Amino acid sequence: MRRAAGLLASAAIVGAVTVACRPSGDVGYVEIKTVPAAPVTQAALYLDSTRLAPIRQGNALLRQRVGTLKLQAEAFGGAKAPLCEIEVKKDRITSVTISVLERPPRCVCRFTGNGGTADRTCVS
Amino acid sequence: MALSPFRAGPERRTVVVLLIAGVFALSSAFAYAEDGNTPSPVEQFSKQLEDFQKSVPDLNKSIQESAGAIDAVTDIDKARADIDRLREQVSTLLGAVSDNGPVSQLGIKALDHIRAKLKTLAQEQRFRPEERQFLIDQWQRLQRQTEDATKELDDARAQFASLLQTLQSNEDFIDELIEVRQAEKALDVIRRLTQNIRDASNQLNKLIGSIKPPGA
Repeated sequence: MRRAAGLLASAAIVGAVTVACRPSGDVGYVEIKTVPAAPVTQAALYLDSTRLAPIRQGNALLRQRVGTLKLQAEAFGGAKAPLCEIEVKKDRITSVTISVLERPPRCVCRFTGNGGTADRTCVS
Repeated sequence: MALSPFRAGPERRTVVVLLIAGVFALSSAFAYAEDGNTPSPVEQFSKQLEDFQKSVPDLNKSIQESAGAIDAVTDIDKARADIDRLREQVSTLLGAVSDNGPVSQLGIKALDHIRAKLKTLAQEQRFRPEERQFLIDQWQRLQRQTEDATKELDDARAQFASLLQTLQSNEDFIDELIEVRQAEKALDVIRRLTQNIRDASNQLNKLIGSIKPPGA
């Protein structure tokens, strides 16, 4: 009985948090994979001006507002090196793989803007 | 009497009697049978006509409904709207469990709290060793359970993400599949309509058949 009540309470809390934290505008997702995969990726990455939390197990899925974001890596002296741009579309996932062994890290899009490898914009 | 080929007298009376008998014979063929069991051709025709007239509105209704049904099942925009709705639902769920989503953040905060508590307990001097060990055991149990829950969250995230990616990467293929399914539904509707028209046609043939005069 107490277990069921606990489960119900948990579900209610999660539901309330989900509703409360639902963003008002359109959102999409950015999937970042790092190679080689490590328990925690040490490279400091930024989406626009937001510093990302360390990526666990080489994979992170982040909810973002629709639009074009700039993916950057922290270089020597705290400067930011641009890696690529990521186009976020509503209810879609844009995937990007970052090779963290290279300096600066290199960005590989799953799909590029105009289909060419020279394009530095990742799309969904 | 130039108009009559017969002479007046017994011959003329015989012809009149024969004509009257002929009229009675013909009318009895068209009129309802006196025995009450066999409907006359007039009765049969009336019944067939009545049946056909009854079936015409049904057929018209059936044709109109079928046309509407075909319009509905071949409405690609509606099908795409269904996919968009499904994508939105999956996206909402994914939003909750994404790495920067509210549920994941709750898990991270809970684990941070447990780790901080364990660190504090390790240096705690207020309790006897067995009490401290008991508390540490309790927090370690909570840590394992929270980590398990977080792992389940990771699995859910991977599943929702995979589903959303499947929806978007196979969008064109799904569109085609939907069109195939809709075409199959449209075919069913056409088959039903064809059957209805065939039934009406059979009734019409019966009606036409009943119009033929006896002996034709």
